[in-house]
Formats: sequence, C-alpha cells, structure tokens
Amino acid sequence: MGYPSLFRSEEMSLVQLYIPTEVAHDTISELGVMGNFQFKDLNGEVNAFQRSFVGEIRRLDEMERRLRLFQNQITSTSPPIGITPLSASVPFTSVGPRAAQAFDDLDVKLAEHEQRMGQINQSWETLGKRQRELEEAKCVLRETAGFFNQADNRQIEIRGSFDDADGSAPLLENAAEYGSLPGESGFQGVDLDFVAGTIERSRMPVFERILWRILRGNLYMNYSEIEEPFVDPTTNKETHKDVFIIFAHGAELLAKIRKVADSMGGTLYPIDSSADKRNESLREVTSRLEDINSVLFQTGQTRRVELGKIAENLMTWKDAVAKEKAIYQTMNLLSYDAKKKTLAAEGWCPTRDISSSQQALRRATETAGTTVPPILSELRTHQTPPTFHRTNKFTEGFQTIIDSYGIATYQEVNPGLFTCITFPFLFAVMFGDLGHGMIATMAAIAMITFERKLAKAGLGEIFETFFFGRYIILLMGMFSMYTGLIYNDIFAKSLHIWQSGWEWPQGANGTVSAISTGTTYAFGLDPAWHGADNALVFTNSYKMKMSIILGVIHMTFAICLQVPNHLKFKKYINIWCEFIPQILFMQSIFGYLVICVIYKWSLDWSQQANSPPGLLNMLIYMFLSPGTVDPATQLYSGQGFVQVFLLLLALVCVPWMLCVKPYLLYREHQKIKGQGYQGVGDAPRLSTSQDMADEEDGNGHAVAEEQEDDHPFEMGDVIIHQVIHTIEFCLGCISNTASYLRLWALSLAHAQLSEVLYNMTLEGAFGMTGVTGVAFTVVMFALWFVLTLAILCIMEGLSAFLHALRLHWVEANGKHYMAGGYAFAPLSFAHLGEEIEEQ
Amino acid sequence: MSGFLVFVLAIISLAAGAISWFLTPKGANQTLIRTSLMLTITCCYLMWAITYMAQLHPLMAPRRSDVRSGPEGL
Repeated sequence: MGYPSLFRSEEMSLVQLYIPTEVAHDTISELGVMGNFQFKDLNGEVNAFQRSFVGEIRRLDEMERRLRLFQNQITSTSPPIGITPLSASVPFTSVGPRAAQAFDDLDVKLAEHEQRMGQINQSWETLGKRQRELEEAKCVLRETAGFFNQADNRQIEIRGSFDDADGSAPLLENAAEYGSLPGESGFQGVDLDFVAGTIERSRMPVFERILWRILRGNLYMNYSEIEEPFVDPTTNKETHKDVFIIFAHGAELLAKIRKVADSMGGTLYPIDSSADKRNESLREVTSRLEDINSVLFQTGQTRRVELGKIAENLMTWKDAVAKEKAIYQTMNLLSYDAKKKTLAAEGWCPTRDISSSQQALRRATETAGTTVPPILSELRTHQTPPTFHRTNKFTEGFQTIIDSYGIATYQEVNPGLFTCITFPFLFAVMFGDLGHGMIATMAAIAMITFERKLAKAGLGEIFETFFFGRYIILLMGMFSMYTGLIYNDIFAKSLHIWQSGWEWPQGANGTVSAISTGTTYAFGLDPAWHGADNALVFTNSYKMKMSIILGVIHMTFAICLQVPNHLKFKKYINIWCEFIPQILFMQSIFGYLVICVIYKWSLDWSQQANSPPGLLNMLIYMFLSPGTVDPATQLYSGQGFVQVFLLLLALVCVPWMLCVKPYLLYREHQKIKGQGYQGVGDAPRLSTSQDMADEEDGNGHAVAEEQEDDHPFEMGDVIIHQVIHTIEFCLGCISNTASYLRLWALSLAHAQLSEVLYNMTLEGAFGMTGVTGVAFTVVMFALWFVLTLAILCIMEGLSAFLHALRLHWVEANGKHYMAGGYAFAPLSFAHLGEEIEEQ
Repeated sequence: MSGFLVFVLAIISLAAGAISWFLTPKGANQTLIRTSLMLTITCCYLMWAITYMAQLHPLMAPRRSDVRSGPEGL
C-alpha cells in the first residue's frame, strides 16, 4: 500500500482482540512498547471504581507514592545523591510469568524501605531537635555568663569610684584579700531573680513591649543575638534566635514572664546565678552535645546509605510501576466475557501496522509462556477513525503548527505537508536579510548538530521551545538568506554583485537622478536604490505588489487543495458547487489584478502614448463604473469589456455558491424519500461480522457499536450553512487578500529597523579616528551586535513568525481545511518514559 | 537582457521541478521531499521573477542628494 506520507492521515482500522486472561498483561505490554494501538473504552457505563483492576491500580498508586517520597528525600539531601539513570540500571522483569512475583516483591521491598526510612527519619528528627535544644542551652549559658560578668564588673567599677572619692583605697585591697566583696553578696541578697531563655529574633521587640506593659517597667531585660542560625533538618528552614535574660523581683512577676515567654514561642532554660554551677552545666551540655552530634552523624550516614541503595534502582522502579499502571488502566477498558476466560479489546490501529501488531501478539504469547495466542480481527465500521500523521523529527514541528489550529479530519488533505516550505518562505518574505538569516541558520545548525546532547540535557522551558522548532528555524533562516539576497539587504547594507541598471552622473552636485544603463539587475533589488532618497517609494510599490501576488497564489493553492478532498470523499457535488465558483470569484477579481500588475511591469511606459495607470484605482473603478475606462489611464484596449465580463462572472458566482448545493441536496433527498428508504437503520448495528456475533453472544455488547446518528435532512440548516459559507468566502476573499499586505508591512519594518540601528550605532563610530575611535567602534559594535540579536533576530523573528502563522491558519487553512478530526492517542510506553524523565 | 529571462528561468524551474518529481528516491519520505523541492523551486522562482519584472521597465530613477563626485560614489 505504498509508503506513509504526510499528505493524508494514516488509514486506520478498527481492530478487535480476543485475549486469553493469562496473556492479557503481556499482550498489552507488548502493544504499549509498539505504541500504535489506541484502546477504546468498552466499559463506558461502568464508573472508575467498579472496574476489574481497581485493586491493582490502587496498589500501584501506593507504590508510586512511596517512590515519589523517596525521590523527594533523595533530591533534598545535601551533598546530593546521584540517581542512577534508567539506561544504566538493572532492568526490571515486568513481563512474563515472573512479572507478578516481581511486582509483589517490589511492593514488599518498597514498604520495607518506607518503614525503615520512616524510623531513621524519626530518630534523625528527634536527635536533631535534641541537638538544637542543647545548642540553645549552650548559647544561653554562654550569653548569660556574659551578662553576669558585665554586671559584676560594673559593680566593681561603681565601688571603685566610691572608694576613689573617699580616698580609702586600702579597703578595696582588704576586700580583695577576703576573697569576696560585701557588695556582691548584697547584689544577690536583694533577691533579684531572673529568667533566661531564647526566642525568635523577629518576635523580640513584641516580647519586650508586652513584658514592659505587663510588669509596668519593673524589670531589667538584657538580650543578645545568636549569630549562627538554627536549621531545621526536615524543612531546611533557618531561624535566627536571640538569648534574653530578664531580671525581675518577686515570684509572681517571674511566673508572668514565664507565661508570656511560653506564649510567644520562647524556650526557657534553668540557669544558676553562681558562676561555678553555670560553668559546670556548660561543661555538661557541651559533652552531651558532642555525644548527640556523633550519634546524629551516624544516623545521617545510615540514612545516606539507605537512600543511596534506593537511588540505584529508583528510575527502574518508577519506570516499571508507571508502565504497570498504564497496563492495568488499559485492561480496565477491556471487557471480560462471562466465564472470565478471555478479554475482549477493541481499538484503532494504523492499517499498515496490523501485521506488526500480530507479530507483537505472538511475541507476547511466547513471553507469557502459554500456547493460546490472542486473536486479532479487523472490524468494519462506520465510526470515524482517529487522525494519525506519522511525523519524523523534521516534520514534527510543522505538523504541530497545523495541529494547534485543529486536528485534521480523518484522511483529509493535510496542510502540514505544504507548511514545511510555505511557512518558512512567508516568514522569510517578512524577515528578509542575508545577515539575520545567516544568524538564524547557524543557530539552527548548532542545535541540530548537538541534537542528542541538547535533547538529554534539561533545558529551560523557553529554550526547549526553540529547540523543538530547530528544523523550522533552519528553513526559516535559509529562506531568509534567499529573500535577503533578493532584497539586497545584509545587516542593512547592500551587495553589489551584478551589473547595476543605474549610473550616477559624474561631477554632479545637489540632487541628482541616476541614469539608466539599459540593463536590469539580474538578481534581486538594484543596489543603486540603497540609500537613494526615493528608495522607499520604489520598495513600497514593489513589496506591496509582491505581497498581493504571493497572497493570491497562496490562496489559490489553498482553494485548489479542496479538490483532492472532494474526490477522496466522493463529494463531487462540492467541486461543481463550491470549488469552481470560488476559484472563479477569486480569479475574476484578484487574479485579474495580479495579471494587470504583471502586464503593467512588462510594458515599457516610456514608449507608450498614455501614462501608467494606478492599478488600485483601476480595481476600484471596475466596481464603481463598470464598462467605462478613462482612455488616459487605459492599460490595454478592450479593457472596459473585459472588466464588465469579469465583474459579471464574479456576480454570477455568488448565487451559484449560495443556491445550487442546497437545491441539489434537496432534490437528492426527495429522490431517496420517494424510493422509500427512510428510517432504515433503527435496529442496532453490530460492528463484528454476523457469524462471530452468533458464536459469542455473551460479549455482544463489547462489539456493539454506538448507533451512528444520521442527522435528519433539514433544509433550513443546509441553507443557513451555505449562506454563512458563501458570505464568509466572498468577504474573506477581499479581507484575506488585504491581509497578505502584512508581508509588505513587516518586511518594510524589518528593513527600516535594521537600517536605523546601523545608522545609530556603527555608522557614527566608523567616522572616528585614533584611540577613541577604536574604543568607540568596539563599544558601538558590541551594542549593535547585541541589539541585532535581541531586537532584529529574536523579537522581529517572533513577530514575523506570528504573522506567518496567522497567514497559514486564517488565510490558507480557512479555504480548505475542515479540521474536524481527533488525534490518535495510542497506549505508548515511549510517551510514558518522557513524562517520567520530566518529573 | 529583457523579459525573456523570466521565461527562460520559468522553463528552467519547470524542468528542475520535473527532475525533482522523477528523481526523488522511493521511500518513506518521498512525498515530503518531492513536495518540498517543488514548492521551494516555485517560491524562489516567484520571488526572483517578481523582483526582476518590477525593475524591468522602471517608472522612476533612484535619486539622491548626497552624491559625491564619481560614479562609484556610493
């Protein structure tokens, strides 16, 4: 049946499989590997919880949850533990007679791992909490020691100053001999008790204010910041804390302080006022901290080893579990027969892949180790099959452009095939610049050369989009180089390759006009126009006409693509009632305009008697005053008659499009009605062949096909549809042709923008000499280059891309593309693999 | 050179299109390659022909006010 092509979507067959229960799992696995079978849901009336394999799926969900949990823990450990990639790890037995056992083992193993991880994590957390508490206690001890020392020193100073004033220094010396100062005991004798603890730094000011208010200022508060933050090992959150010590008088006040501290999330630590005891508890805390740290380290090591063990197999397990889940989800779509011996499956498969599917079934039987093979049979059906375009890495991007507009109707002409060239070409008409095209081409070539490496490496979302469209960019770049040559633009400069058609007069001053040399520049725009005062006048006229010509040709091509569709779907009536009047309407107005443009170009107006006519006016007066043409602006003799004829032709086309098809449909309907064929087909149709249905009555419902609802013939609907279609086409012809003028507008904008950029940066720099000139040139070149990339290549490129997209979606696709299909979505492990990688 | 070049290249393009139609090797991508080559030839020819014809019988001459003396004063 030939090779697959993008011209039409693949021919699909509705296929029925009878699978013995013991082979079912492996068969579906094999079909998933092939990835070309879309299963239909045969249990549509059964809700998700009543299906046969809910239990298995729930178990796999649980396994998936555990694997996700492990992965989160593995990725959040620092230093990171490497997860062995899927390709490097030991394969998992997911098919064959031992698969079920393997999954049972895996389930048990994962549960064990989870339990062990749970224990380790719990002790890790408790230890961590304990460690933090000890750390805080240590800080509190250290800081409070600081407060006490300060307080002592101050007293000594105060006393010292008193003594100095008295001039009785010896007393101090005596006191030193006694070993203790009377004042010190006095200080403690006042019974100024205190509370010490830690609190979060952000709460400190509030805490202070509340205490001040509650105690009415009867307190002495001191605090200092702990420099290192405390890190929560499970959440990795850092908290900064302050140590505070509050002196107050009386048990009641102290109790109040404790309550406030508790409510504010502070932690209190018992601190003794005597320095010896403080030192002792500091020593104790330090030694306990050391113990805890070593235990914590050990636990951390065990945790790492455990996670490392899991990481080795994580990807294999994830892959196996995801596939298994997909298999059971698919098996839920199948229907059981009464005896639970066989499963019946129904689904879509590309017709050319049926034989390879049959081989897959045989392979599955071998893997499962049974002798009863699944039976595959093709069904005849009236259902619409899904649309499946076989794309490769080159066509994938272009097909996506079309698919985003709409999925093609089954076996309809696919505009994706033509988009491969017309899209980059229309883009290039707007983006024409040899230099910018070269940059785009080189970027695309780089992406294509390092395709494999880049595909593996995780890229940002934005870059991935560009990477996906690398072949589009390649063609866009190459066509831009071509159109750049035609426009004679390379980074806003021009090339002078062929013999110019113009010569500048010698020795002239002031405004001069070039003199024609009688030749025409052989390829592209004459460089003499570059920098000319009236360059825009010429390029505008040239690019505008070019846009119209290209637009009319593109739309005519799109209208012509209707014909293969009408032939394929045997709707010959549409050729006579839609295609022909449409193409005549289009050509009699805009085709005529294009011919006039070309004819006007082909005449040497210096030899003609009359002056060249404005073609736009000509077209307008063709409608306003048909039949009369001003002899002064006549393009050719007999113009009036031709224009009246074309106008009448266009006018005739409107009722032709409007009435003929509904009338013919009506007559056909009357004929059928007259023959008495109405109402047949109310009995349910079985898609399977009759003998099969007789044989296996039990699973008849699996095969029963939804009744194709034949819309009753409604004359009103047909007429309304045709009126809308006709109006849309006739008005669309005019507005769509005008829409192609965006080709002119964008290419003009691109050329002007690059010229302005060049004039503003590099041109000024090239005039300068000396060291400053060199430095200025370097700076300006950098600026020019960066702006060229950012604005002219990327921004302008995106805008030209969008406009090319619109021209394809609206102007071209609107003429022929029905886009009423639905995409083929086969069970495919390859897609599943991509999703796992992304997670 | 004159307008004949447009016809000469049209014939050459048609010939190139015919060659690409018949010489595309059979295979999975035959339709794609064939269509792409023929569309490319058509697009490139159209673009060139339009540009060439637009300059064939110019209605105006380039004009500039900053000419330095000499024909190569561009």
